[in-house]
Parts: sequence; structure tokens; C-alpha cells
Amino acid sequence: MGNNGSVERRTVLKAAGASLATLGLAATTGCGGDGGSSGDGTVTLRYAWWGGEPRTIAIKKTIALFEKKYPKIKIKPEFTDYEAFWEKFQTQASGGNPPDVFQNAVGFLRKYDKRGVLMDLKTQADAGNLSLENFRNGVLANGQVDGKQIGIPVGANTMSLVIDLKAFKKAGVEPKFGWTWDEYFDALQTIQDKLKIAGDTGYFAIMYLYDLYLRQNGKAFFSDSALGFTEDDVTQWWEDGYKRVKSGLVADPKKIEQVKPKSGLSAGLAASEFTWDNFSIRYEGEGESDYGLAPIPTTDGKQTGQYLGSLMLSAFSGTKHPKEAAQFIDFMVHDPEVGKIMGYDRGILATTEQYEAFTPTDANNKGVAAYEDEVAKAGVLGKITPHPSGADIIEAAFLRIGGEVAQGKTKPADGAKTLFSEAKAAFAG
Amino acid sequence: MTLVKEASVRPAGKRSAVPAAGRRGRRRENLAGYLFMSPWIAGFLLLTAGPMIASLYYAFTSYNLFTPPQWVGLDNFTTMFQDPRWQKSVQVTLKYVVVATPLKLLLALGVALLLAQKRRGQGLYRAAFYMPSLIGASVSVGFVWRALFSDDAIVDRTQKVFGLDVGGWIGNPDYVIYALVALSIWQFGAPMVIFLAGLKQVPRELYEAAEMDGAGPIRRFWNITLPMISPVLFFNVLLESIHAFQVFGSAYVVSDTRCGPADATLVYTCYLYQKGFKEAQMGFASAMAWTLVVAVALVTAVLFWSQKKWVHYEEAAK
Repeated sequence: MGNNGSVERRTVLKAAGASLATLGLAATTGCGGDGGSSGDGTVTLRYAWWGGEPRTIAIKKTIALFEKKYPKIKIKPEFTDYEAFWEKFQTQASGGNPPDVFQNAVGFLRKYDKRGVLMDLKTQADAGNLSLENFRNGVLANGQVDGKQIGIPVGANTMSLVIDLKAFKKAGVEPKFGWTWDEYFDALQTIQDKLKIAGDTGYFAIMYLYDLYLRQNGKAFFSDSALGFTEDDVTQWWEDGYKRVKSGLVADPKKIEQVKPKSGLSAGLAASEFTWDNFSIRYEGEGESDYGLAPIPTTDGKQTGQYLGSLMLSAFSGTKHPKEAAQFIDFMVHDPEVGKIMGYDRGILATTEQYEAFTPTDANNKGVAAYEDEVAKAGVLGKITPHPSGADIIEAAFLRIGGEVAQGKTKPADGAKTLFSEAKAAFAG
Repeated sequence: MTLVKEASVRPAGKRSAVPAAGRRGRRRENLAGYLFMSPWIAGFLLLTAGPMIASLYYAFTSYNLFTPPQWVGLDNFTTMFQDPRWQKSVQVTLKYVVVATPLKLLLALGVALLLAQKRRGQGLYRAAFYMPSLIGASVSVGFVWRALFSDDAIVDRTQKVFGLDVGGWIGNPDYVIYALVALSIWQFGAPMVIFLAGLKQVPRELYEAAEMDGAGPIRRFWNITLPMISPVLFFNVLLESIHAFQVFGSAYVVSDTRCGPADATLVYTCYLYQKGFKEAQMGFASAMAWTLVVAVALVTAVLFWSQKKWVHYEEAAK
């Protein structure tokens, strides 16, 4: 009896152990990929983006709107900050399991096109699931690579100079269209003399600003497959930058480092910062002053080198639901209600439907709209610089090496050498 | 000692007493045991052993995660040894290991000596000193550390009182590594507990005899305590150095994920992570990982070799 009982118990335990083991295995294989369609024809799409909290709140509202209109499609949101997003994305994509629809940027198009991750949405447009009409100012081209439409722009943005309005006013300097770099740095000098704060947060480590500077001088940061400048060019650029750190015109990088993730501008360490115009909205929340957009300084008194860039939506080439993914993107870029909810968080709305539906009421959104209007009117907008595969890695390297130069830990010429050797590896990768 | 002996003797005796039928039952018992372990075994094979073997192969390939790995022989290793950032990461890591490990062990030993004495509330003290070891590796403590050592924060202000204004450690490439060292030292609780256990093993009569012969506290420490706990010290040195070589989390969080400024906290694993997961150079990253394994093994071997010079094992421990 006793013996019997213990055998029985053992069998039960064994079964339990075995089922635990299979559960474990099932969990492992379960990661492989979930088709995401259930018996009643409801389809689930994973949608991923990066950005701050306001963006996440707004996007979730637009998702609710979409699900109401398409009750058979459920959206599973995934969001994080920029750097974590691309690390995660790379891992997921390499495992064949990226989100079905995701936010994308120009710097990543060729990289993931080369790796076969991005769907050519033209076929979906031809099938009538997605409209490629009504995009403003030709931004649709930002999502095209080798004749394929692998990204659909949700907005248009441009590099700008964000300034601390109070500081500029107090110092009595006023930025104006077509001002030159000399005039800009003179203005910073005035601010430094009068207010005892630095003028800029570290312009020389920003790849997209250096791109504008190069464009003003008939070059560009990238050609189709390489860097569009020489080691001497960037050595000069960093030498000038380091001089300005030394003289206090540019804020102490040690201080800038320590206020991260806050910006040096909103932390009150400097009076201006170069960044994308749609980012300017964040400073108002972060800092205590008022912030506005100012023109990019020029070399010849006219050309700013600016162009319209875009955040976009892309779809995974291997998604099980290409039609639904296309319908979702279509809704997100064309639906007027979505435009009203999103505002200019990801840049000036890309389609006429959304652009017309949204009337900016707050100073920030108004400012962004006025800025891009002004830039467009000045006739300085050019074609976007190409972004070869590896552009993202080079941008990070440029930022890092620029930081080392600013700290006085790397000589500009050595930094330039490092940049070129790392760029070579990045293009090959 | 005796307990272990008994335990190892008993099953043997039992086995000889129970013949064939029992052996079958025993095999079934083993099977059940393995079944119970199977989730862990499966996890170990799939998530640890498998990837390790794979990474050994990748170390000799060029692999960007998307296209199949291509055999490149020793290329990763030759590029690596010439890579200035790799050299920098080795430099940063060595500095961290060489500075943090001895300081941490010194503090651990010092506090252990104090806590070894009987006094009221000693359990409370031990728990309090051990606590940081439990939470020190967490991300939130990394954030706290970043805040503590930033410009105009508590550490900076305290320094200013003494006229040592460096404007915060976090943004300064020359100081930030010491913020990490401080974080490591603060977690001295784990080696401290091991030291405490070692101190309890030292026979009282040795001290009594020495005292009788007129040996003062310092002499007793050098001639009795230190030799008697040298096996424990050896264990702690070994463990803490291996840990220090693998430091990652604190560097990553304290430097706001960039292991900077100016690569000042670019510890080995952080560079490995950047290469593997940011730049998708998995071949290179794997080569780095295996180089670290070999390096740590070498350090361990040297420590073991040095043992006979300074570690004292009691032959007949009672």
C-alpha cells in the first residue's frame, strides 16, 4: 500500500516536472513570432515608436481612434526612448520579429532596406490600401530609396537654432535671417559679456548642424556611399569649436554632461542650442525661460543649407498582415482627427488633410509653423542629404568624438582620423 | 567535516543493503530528479551553453546579425588589439579593478574586525553594513549615484567646504571613474560577511597564548589573524577581482548609457555592449568576450599560483 502510494505520487510529480519542462520549452519557442490573428478574424498589429511622454499619450489616443474605425484590427503599442528603441529594434529585426509598423527616420532607411526589413509600401498603395497623395512640399520623397517607398512621412521638420528669448533680449541681440556665423558668434560674445552665461551648448558635435555648414559650402556630410568632407574640414570645425569652449563662448562640456537628459539650454547653462525645430516644444516644459526659434547662421549671407527631414512610419517586410499594416499607416498619416491630436510633435503635419485640420493655438506649435513658413519663403530649402547605411553609427561617433574634443581629451586632428576609420567600418557593416 | 563524511557514507551503505529491485526504483528516482531539473537544464543549454559555443564561433567571423556570419579567421582579434577604443576600455577596466578591489576589501576587512567583537545590537550593524550589497547593483542606485556626484550635489558641496571644487565628478573625465569606484566600495558588505565568518574560525586559544607572550593587538593581527584568514582573503580577492573585471551596470547607468564623458567610464563590457548591440558587430563583440574570459582565467591562474606564497592552510584543522 505504502509502496503503491509512493509510486503514484512519484508518477504525479514526474508528470508535473515534465509538463513544467515542456512549458519552459514552449515559452522559449513562443518568442519566435506570434501571427497575431485569432479565430474571429481579428488581427493584431504591433506598433512601436520612440519619443517622450506627450507623444506617447497622443499616439495612444490616435490608436483608440483607429481601433474604433477598424474594429477587426487591434494595435499593440510598444514605446521607449530613441536609443533603446533602435537597440531593441535591431535585435528584434535580426530575429525576424520586429514590430509590424514602426516609427522610422531618414538615417535608418538604407540600413534596414539593405537588410531586407522594410516593406515597399508602393505595392500596398497600388492595391488601394494606402494613399500616397496629398503630401506637402515633396516630403514623400524622404521615404524613398532606390525607387521603393519604404517610409511614409508623418511630419516635416528642419534643423533650427533654439534660443533663450529672455537672454537674447536682455543682452540686446537679435537674430535675423541670413546672419553669418561671425555675426552669430559675435552675438554669443555679447551675451557672454553681459549675462555671464555661455552662448551655445556644443554645436560642433551635432552631425546635422555640420551637414548644414557643409551644404552652405557646396559639400554635404554624406555622399551616396561615403563621407562628403575631408579630415582637414572636420579638424578645422573641431578646432574652432574647442577654441570656443576654452573661451567660454560654448558651455563647459562637464556641466552639460551632468544635466543630461535635460538640455544645456533649458538648464540655463547656455543661451542657444541647435536642434530640430519640432524638439523646441520640449524646452518650454523643461526650462524656466521662454524659448523661440531663430534662423541658422549662414556662410554667404543667404544659404542656410536647410532641408525638410521627416519622421516616418514603416512596415516590416515580413508582416503577416501587410494589408492591415498599410491601412493603419494610411489612417495615421491622412486622418484629420489624428492630425488634430498629434499636432507638430513629429514635425509639421505631412499631408494636406492633417495640416489643414490642425490649427496651432499655443505659442510653441505656432512658432514651429511660422518658422517653417519663413524658411520656405526665404527659398533656402534644398534637397535632403543622402543617408547611406551606417549613418546612425556615424552620427553617434560624431557626437562622441566631438564630446572628447570639447573635454580636451582628444586633439581635433586625431578625432578626425578616428571618425574616418569608424565611418569606414560603419559603411561596410 | 564529520557531518559531510557521515552523509557521504550513508547512501553507500544503503545501496549495498538494497539489491536489484531497489536499484530500479533508484533509477526512477534519478529520472524524476532530472525531470524536475529539466527546466533549468533546458534553460542552461539553450540560454547559456548554446550561446557561449555560438559566440566562440562568431569570434572568428564577421557577423552583423542579419547576414550569415562569414569566417574571417583572426581578423577580429587583430583589429581589436589595434583599436584605440579597445585599448582605452582595457585601460579603464584595469584602473577600476586595481583601485576598487583592494579598497573594497580593506574596508570589508576593517569593518569585519570591528563587527567580530561581541557587542549589543551587532546583528543590526551587520545587516546595516550588508544592505548596500543587496541593492548596490540596481539601476536606481546608479541614478542616485549620478545625482550624488553631480555638480552642486552633496559630494561637490562637501568638497567645496574643503576648497576642493571640481564641479562634480560625473561630467569630468578625470574623476568620474572614482564615482564608480566609490559605488563598488560602498558594496563591501558581501566580502565583509565572508571575512566575518573567517574571523570566527580563528581559534581563541591562539590569541590567548599570544597575549600571554605579550603580543599587542597589531602583532596579533599580523601574526595570527591575517595568516589564519588568508584562505578567506584569497577567496575574496579572487571573487572581487573577477567581479570587477565584469563591471557594467554601474558604468552604464552612472554615465547616462554612454560610458562617458570622453570614454572615461568605457569599461570593457560597456565597449563590448556598444560593439554588439549598437553597432551590430557581433563577431567583434564575441572576440572581445572571449578575450575577457581568457584574461580573467589568466588572472585567476596567477592568483592561484601566488597562493602558496601567502595563503596559509591549517593542515590538521582540528
